[in-house]
This record gives sequence, C-alpha cells and structure tokens, in this order.
Amino acid sequence: MEATFSGNEVQLVVFKLGREEYAVSILHVQEIKRVTDITRVPNAPDYICGVINLRGSVLPVIDLKKRLDLPAQGYTDDTRIIIVRVEEIAVGMIVDGVSEVTALSQENIEQPQVVSGGVAADFLEGIGKQEGRLIILLNLSAIIGLGQESKVS
Amino acid sequence: MDVNQYMSMFLEEAREHLQTLNQSILELENNPEDLSILDVIFRSAHTIKGMSATMGFTTIAELTHEMENILDYLRRGDMKATKEIIDTIFKCVDSLEQLVEDVSNNMEPSVDVKGLVQTLSTLVKNPAAPVVADVAPAITPAPVKEEEPTKVEGELPLLELTEGELDIAHAAATAGQQTYEIQVFLRPDCILKSARVFMIMNALEAMGEVLRAQPPAEDLEKENFEASFQLVFVTKQEPTVVEKAIVSVSEVDRAILIPIQVDEYAAAPFVPAAIVEAGGNGQPKPQSGKTAAEAVEKIAPTPGATGGADKKVKGGQSVRVDIDKLDSLLNLVGELVINKTRLEQIGITHKLTELVETIEQMDRVTTDLQAVVMKVRMVPVGQVFNRFPRMVRDLSRELGKEVNLIIQGEETELDRTVIDEIGDPLVHLLRNAIDHGLERPADRQAVGKNPVGEIRLIARHEGNNVIILVEDDGKGINPEIIKQKAVAKGLISQAEAEKMEPADAVRLVFLPGFSTAEVVTDVSGRGVGMDAVKNKIESLGGMVDVETKVNEGSKFKIRLPLTLAIIQALMVKVAEENYAIPLGSIDSTINIIPADIKTIQNREVILLRGQIIPIVRLGQVLGLPETAQQEEEELFVVVVHMGDQKAGIIVDNLIGQQEIVIKSLGKLLAGIKVLAGATILGNGQVALILDIGALIQ
Repeated sequence: MEATFSGNEVQLVVFKLGREEYAVSILHVQEIKRVTDITRVPNAPDYICGVINLRGSVLPVIDLKKRLDLPAQGYTDDTRIIIVRVEEIAVGMIVDGVSEVTALSQENIEQPQVVSGGVAADFLEGIGKQEGRLIILLNLSAIIGLGQESKVS
Repeated sequence: MDVNQYMSMFLEEAREHLQTLNQSILELENNPEDLSILDVIFRSAHTIKGMSATMGFTTIAELTHEMENILDYLRRGDMKATKEIIDTIFKCVDSLEQLVEDVSNNMEPSVDVKGLVQTLSTLVKNPAAPVVADVAPAITPAPVKEEEPTKVEGELPLLELTEGELDIAHAAATAGQQTYEIQVFLRPDCILKSARVFMIMNALEAMGEVLRAQPPAEDLEKENFEASFQLVFVTKQEPTVVEKAIVSVSEVDRAILIPIQVDEYAAAPFVPAAIVEAGGNGQPKPQSGKTAAEAVEKIAPTPGATGGADKKVKGGQSVRVDIDKLDSLLNLVGELVINKTRLEQIGITHKLTELVETIEQMDRVTTDLQAVVMKVRMVPVGQVFNRFPRMVRDLSRELGKEVNLIIQGEETELDRTVIDEIGDPLVHLLRNAIDHGLERPADRQAVGKNPVGEIRLIARHEGNNVIILVEDDGKGINPEIIKQKAVAKGLISQAEAEKMEPADAVRLVFLPGFSTAEVVTDVSGRGVGMDAVKNKIESLGGMVDVETKVNEGSKFKIRLPLTLAIIQALMVKVAEENYAIPLGSIDSTINIIPADIKTIQNREVILLRGQIIPIVRLGQVLGLPETAQQEEEELFVVVVHMGDQKAGIIVDNLIGQQEIVIKSLGKLLAGIKVLAGATILGNGQVALILDIGALIQ
C-alpha cells in the first residue's frame, strides 16, 4: 500500500462521507455502481452490510461509514457503491457520493499525525491538500481487514 | 529450438511417466521375472531421458541414463531384480520426481544425484554375467538392434525412385556420391515427432541432400505419420556417419541405410502411375532445373509403410484442457442456468404459455449441457489412488509390518476439485491404518490372524454421493482407551465419558488435539491428522465417520458429494430473507404447532415418528428479530440430517425447490460458520446457502 501513494503524482477517486471528502487510489477502483439489492449476511462483522450480485459473482459490501465510525445516514440518490480490489479481494464500499477523479502531487500529501474527524489512524494513509480542501486518503488493506485486524476506536 | 513452448508438455508427460514407473516397479517387485513389465519401465525411463535431454535438463537425463543401463541388464536377464536393485530404482524415481518438480518451480536441481549415479554404476559394473554389449549401435544396413519395443515395426518396403531422382542419383554416382534410402524409426512413444524430424533433417542437410521424404515433409511437420518415415538421401559421407547422426537425435529408435544401386534400379521396369503434384514441400531441397521432374511423383502404394503402427488400437481420442478453461465453462453454464430460471419466473408471472413452453425446451438443453460439463470435469479417483501402493509399501517396510493393499472402484468418478483435495485426507487415513490399526506380524499371529494385514481402499457411488472406505483388519479402536485419553487430555469430563456410547467415544478421535499413539512417530501420532481429515472433508461438503470392532479392525467412511458446483436446493424464507438448504441433506418437511415443541434438558425438541429431533430456530441462529408467535400458528419445519444426526429447522415459509449454482462468499466472509456459500436467484438477488453440518452442531 505504501507504493500506492508514492511517486510524484497520484490519481485519486474522491468521494464523500457525510461532509468530509475521502479518496482512494484509482488503481484500486474497479467500478462505481448505484446501490442495488444487498443481501444481509448473518453473523458477519457489523461493518459488512451484506453481499451483492456483480454480474454473476458474489461480492461483500462494506458500510464505510460504519467501518470508520462515522454517524450513519440513510441512502440518497447520490449514494454509490465503489468496487475496489485489493490483493485479489474485491469488495464494494458504500459512500455518500462520488465527487471526482483528481491528481494530487506527493508534496501535497501529509502523513496522518492528527486523527481527523474521529477516524482511527490505522485506516488513514495520509491527508491530501488541494486548494484549501482536505482529502483523507484511506488505507484500503486496513479497511478490508487484511493483515492484523485493526480496531475501530 | 525454443524449449519453453514444450515446457508444460514436458512436465505433464514426465509426471505421467514417473507415475507409470512407480506403478510398474511395484509390479516388478512382485513379479521380478516379468519381462513385459521391464519393457514398460524401460520405455518410460527412456522417454524421460529423451525429453529431458532435449529440454536441456541434464541432471534428469544423466540419472535416467544410468537407470536405463541397469534396466537394460535386467531386461536381458544379465541381472536379477533383487530387493536392493528395486530399492535403488525407487530412490531414482523419487529423485526424478523431485527434479521434475524443481523444473516446474523454475528452480535449479535440488537433489544431488551423484551418489545415486554412483550406486547405479557400481550395480551395473558387478552383474553376474560379464558380457557387456557394445552400447553404440552396430553399423549394418540391415535392422540393427532387435529390441523389444521395436519388434512391432518391420523393415519398410523400399521406395521407388522417380525418373528425376534417378537422374540425380546417376549424376551423384559419377561425382562419387552415393544415394541411400534411409528408413528412420522413431520410438513409438516419441512425443515431439515434428521436432525430431526437424532435427534429423537439419543433421542430414549438413551432410548431403534430401531428395524426397515419404510421407512428404508437410505431413512430417504436422506429425501426420506414425513412428517411421523414409528419405531418399544423396551424400558423400560414410553410411555409418550418417546413421550415427540420425540415431544421436533423441527418441530415434533406429535408422536403416540402404544403398541404392543406380544401375540395377534403372533396369527395373518403371511403371508410370497416377501423377500427383507433390508440392514444393515434398522436396526440402529440390535441385534447380530438376524441379519439374521431381514435382512429378508416383503414388507409392505404401500401406505397408505404416502397417505395423496401424495395428495399434486407437484408444479414445482426448484433448488436454487447462482446468481453468473448464472452470470458466462451468461458470458460464452456471450463468445460463441462472438466466433460464429468471426467464422461467417471467413466464410464470406474466402467464406467457409460449415462453414457458420454449423455456421447457431450453431447460432440457441446459440440463444436458450442465450434465456434459459436469462429466467433463469428472476424474476417476484412480488418479489419487494410484500413488498409494507405493506409499503403503514404503511405510509398511519402515514400520516392519506386512500389508496387502486392496484397491477397488478406482474408476469411480468425482469432480476435479474434489479429487485435488481428497488426497491428503486419504494419506492420513492410510497412514493411521498402517501405523495404529495394523498389528505387527508376530502380534497378528498370536491372535490367530494372517500375519499379512489387509487394508482396503474402496470407492463407490451411493446415490448422489461417492463413498470412499478405508478399512483395515487390525486391532480396532478401543472406546474405553479413547475415553480415558480424552479425559486425560481434558477434552471431555469423566462424567461425560461414563455416559458416552462406544460409537460416540470412537468419534472422539476426530477432536482437535487427540492422538492415540503412545510414541509419537514420524508417520502419524501428532494428533493433527484426524481432526485435519475431518475438517478437509467437511470443507468439501462431505462427511467422515468411523466404525470399529476391537480386534477385528476399523472402517473409515468418507462420503463426498459428486459435484460442488450446482445442486438442488429448497428455498426457504425467514423474516423476508431467502436461504437455500441443499436438498441432499433434507429428510422431509413437516408442519407442527408450537405445542409440539417440548424441551429436554433445556433444548427444544420435537417427536417425529418416535424419534427425538432437536429443533433449530433459524431466525435465532441468523440473528433475526423474533417474530411474534401465536400459539395456534403452524410452523414449518425442515427436517435435515448430517450423518446419523438429525435436526428440525424452523423456518417462516417454504418457497420451493430450485437448482442453484454455488458461489463462494469470498475470503472476507469465509469464516462464517452457518453459511456454506451463496447463490444468485432468478431475480438477480443473492441468497445464502445454509451449512447444515454447522447448524446441527
């Protein structure tokens, strides 16, 4: 994951969770879907809201706000599922809306020293600054729960 | 030659030949005098040698070469296949297996074969008979060596030269060159025929001129010939040199050079027959000016040319297919089934009779298609079983026990994915049977048993399942001892042990951390075996059970589903959620009223035809809110079984029976116990499949 945001410039998919802007590297993003039928999976971790049918394969969907311990909110017309792929695992993430694809140069990304907006530091990759905006870069491996299980504070 | 394109072929063939070697050497051990077995062994070793030399794997080639020497002695009766020799050959095969795996892992050879090569050559040097035949082929135009595998092929009838070729031959003779007809015999098991032809042609063209090839070069390139072909060749070289050049190409059995006496040939009556255009490919190097004459070629009546090979019975023709391709084919068929179900539902909802009729047709086709695809993926269990004789032999020796392994039903077919996974559990069971089950020969005699223990490995169909039995006639498992051990290890309490039925006690061996061996050996007894066996088999959707009688033996019974991909299921509904229950584990569905539910020791049960069946409230297990129940409301109960255990699952509604395609839930959700997977319904929604085994527990 370190490599994802290194290099001179990174392409990011920026999306909204509540009033904050978050981003993941475009290299991980497979597609963006409208919300479809989600089948609840019993006894699954609480941040997994269920599974969807993506053209014949069954894909788990993460409620990203729950994962990041952000206040829940109903789905709107803007709600999307971003399908990402990390280390051969594909999952969907529910977000409040996808804003744009943008490029950010490396010097505008700061290491996450401050915990911003209550999001656990484990899930952060860095904070991007762009014309006064702050974009929170997410560590997908940690969010999906690969490696050591990181706990929501 | 670029060897990489032949790599996968090499690996596959090498593994096959190694398997043949293992099997045949075992046979040889039992019938040391049987020459036909030796021939099989020799051929396999020779092919491996040829292939590896071509591919540049010198270590493998070197080792097989030494093996071949010793095999040759055995075959000629100069040596006897003693235990020592058989053991050495087995060691060679083991090293070869390792070397081939190294090749497949793209590694440098990890085995040092020097010691083995040394052992082999000392064995060869000290045979009883001192007669050592010259290894280099004798040089005569007549058939050189009358080796066993070559007997099939006689000398081919001579080609008749065309007028043009005769002209060249004449001219060559005056220039001090000689025309030969060369008959080349490839080994019958030669796999890279066109490559060999190419190499031979290259070698020959360096020394002279190939006037004609029969069959034509085009057919040779396409491997459109059996094991032999004929060439007309003009050269200054000595015939011995030419022959050596040809025979030095791997997988060439022999080459016969027949000098063509030009004058006497010309005198023979020349019958012009039907004329065909041979095409430029017919003559690899036509001489300028002679082309027109050469292009006219007589159809040689050469049924005899391939006569020997024609007699070979053509087995079923087959194509090797990458398993990934089959998987994607299966996936596509799965998609088709899903969409068919969707169409069915549209037809029914909108009452479209015509559509429903068409779909019925389609249903038949997809069902057949599915059956065919499933069949394609089926592999006989023999593929797994055939490595066991060798293992049992080695193990029984190591442990000083005598074992007669009986294998039955190796033709029983199972899905490829199951086959790949079933090997390890079976190895565990067989090892346990030999190590713990069978007694030492002396002990067996003392209790009046045949000193040679018997282990049976049996596969057979039973309904929609395949049963694999591992039986031994050893000392059996004593439930009392098992109980004691389990109590001592803290797996169960003393009180539990006392109440336990003997059959249940024996099943304790499947608990994690259970080991009955008093001395932990290399073979078994680390206590991981049986519990790993159980887990593996359950992960395949199967079950394992054990029956045993003290002093009579034990029987491990594995039940496996035929396929893992498409199953019949009953769809049920719990609080607006759909779940699938595999039909294979359903006994019946019944309706009860809440008053029918009794409690025993705080567990809810019902009484069904005199049997007490525990109740599972699906809603509760799945973490759904309790639906308010009225006392008189009817409840739907699906009675399921897993082995001898039964349970009644209470659901809100029964939807119906349906064919479903099993999909994995993926790594992220793999740990969820009560779910066996997911499936996609006709409406595109995902439904989850219940894991009955986990629910019952």
